[in-house]
Amino acid sequence: MNTLFVLYGVILLGLTGVAEYSGWSFSSVNQQRVLPKSIRDNPGAYRSSYGGYSRYIGGK
Amino acid sequence: MAAVQAKSIACPNCGGPVQLRGFAHTLSAVCPQCLSILDASSPEVQILQTFQGKTQVKPTIPLGTRGKFAGAQYEVIGFQVREVSTGDDSYSWDEYLLFNPFKGFRYLTEYNGHWNFVHVETALPVKTQARGKPAMQYDSKLYLAFDYMTASTVYVLGEFPWRLKRGDSVACQDFVAPPFMLSSEATEGDITWSRAEYMTGEQIWQAFKLPGSPPPIYGIFANQPSSYGSTVASSWSTWVWLNVVLAALVFLFMFISPGRIAFSDHYVYSQGVKPDVAFSNTEAFVTPTFQLDGRKSNVELSIHTDLDNNWVYFNFALINNQTGESFDFGREVSYYHDSDGSDGNRNNSVIIPSVPSGQYYLRVDPEMARGSPFVAYDLQLRRNVPNYGFFGLAFVLLLIPPAFTTFRRGSFEAARWRESDYAPIPKSGDDD
Repeated sequence: MNTLFVLYGVILLGLTGVAEYSGWSFSSVNQQRVLPKSIRDNPGAYRSSYGGYSRYIGGK
Repeated sequence: MAAVQAKSIACPNCGGPVQLRGFAHTLSAVCPQCLSILDASSPEVQILQTFQGKTQVKPTIPLGTRGKFAGAQYEVIGFQVREVSTGDDSYSWDEYLLFNPFKGFRYLTEYNGHWNFVHVETALPVKTQARGKPAMQYDSKLYLAFDYMTASTVYVLGEFPWRLKRGDSVACQDFVAPPFMLSSEATEGDITWSRAEYMTGEQIWQAFKLPGSPPPIYGIFANQPSSYGSTVASSWSTWVWLNVVLAALVFLFMFISPGRIAFSDHYVYSQGVKPDVAFSNTEAFVTPTFQLDGRKSNVELSIHTDLDNNWVYFNFALINNQTGESFDFGREVSYYHDSDGSDGNRNNSVIIPSVPSGQYYLRVDPEMARGSPFVAYDLQLRRNVPNYGFFGLAFVLLLIPPAFTTFRRGSFEAARWRESDYAPIPKSGDDD
């Protein structure tokens, strides 16, 4: 049982190290398509996949 | 021991031969043919009790079987079934009498597949109290009171070093310190103390070299050792060491992932007003380019606003200036407050995973509710930040095995003590 726990712990800590080193994240980020250079000249032409945001604005 | 011849007497009731293996120690013997109990203490064998029962019990370990315990060979010379009646309910267990001419007598008990090797003690235990229960201190071990009962002998076979009869009763009390159990048997003016050690059926079968397999185990016995007993301590010890390694990892990544600032700037957003920055002809704009160095790693974007009872939503794209590859994400910042308290936060952040090195710029597209006043905000990008969420997750996941073994041991002990007369909650079926 304890050997299994040591093995489990080593694998878990190993994965944690790999995740940290590789810069993994829990955040939801959409790695998108390759964009044309013109985006830099005309930022408004870009349609973000998070655009069209609608929110309940009743407030507190 | 194999060369020693057993003595034989004739049963005065049926005339059948009765073998005696306990030599001068034997005071009573049971005729295997008519099951009469005979007084074997003198050459004139007398009948102590005839058998009135209807059913015969066959011992799991036959009389005459020899087995090795603690380096000595013992022979099974007696067998009795003892019964405890508690109102409408009754239960019984088997007791085998073992004999070695040099070591004397030992007992083997079996109940629901649980076995105990029993030795009669000559020293007296010391009465004490522990964990709110009566207890006994014996041989530097503390035994907690488990149960008390009146046990009656209901069936006998073989021979015994005392004069016994079916129906003989003794007041018993058990104290446990798994895998040991200290038991007292009291008759009028006489108390005998014995110490039992728990054994598995497999150990018994191996000791006697019996064919087949032992009877299956039911339930948890009073002095049955928990298989999680030593595991719990060792798993918590392992947990401490793994956490030392985890803490070392935290310090290592604080050192190799210092979170260097790659970009930082201050902005003001007001609806319908083009931002006062380069590269913008709408409310969306792009920042100047900045360099993200080093290995493929994360980037943290922090947003600090001066929001007051309002919200703002940011559409972001982190775009590689050379390849055009983009990381698209959005974040809302909202902060409301009144006399009852506050809700939300003026600040927010996001960690963008696995961003390759290169020259990047950020496209920012803020949105607010119509008619909202302007909002001032700071954006800061830091390269290679420690993600403490992973360390926190590892800490929680490392807790699972020791917590599981602790829970299992707790469940085992709870099941053990449910059967006790000293149970925290009375056992099922108890009315009082």
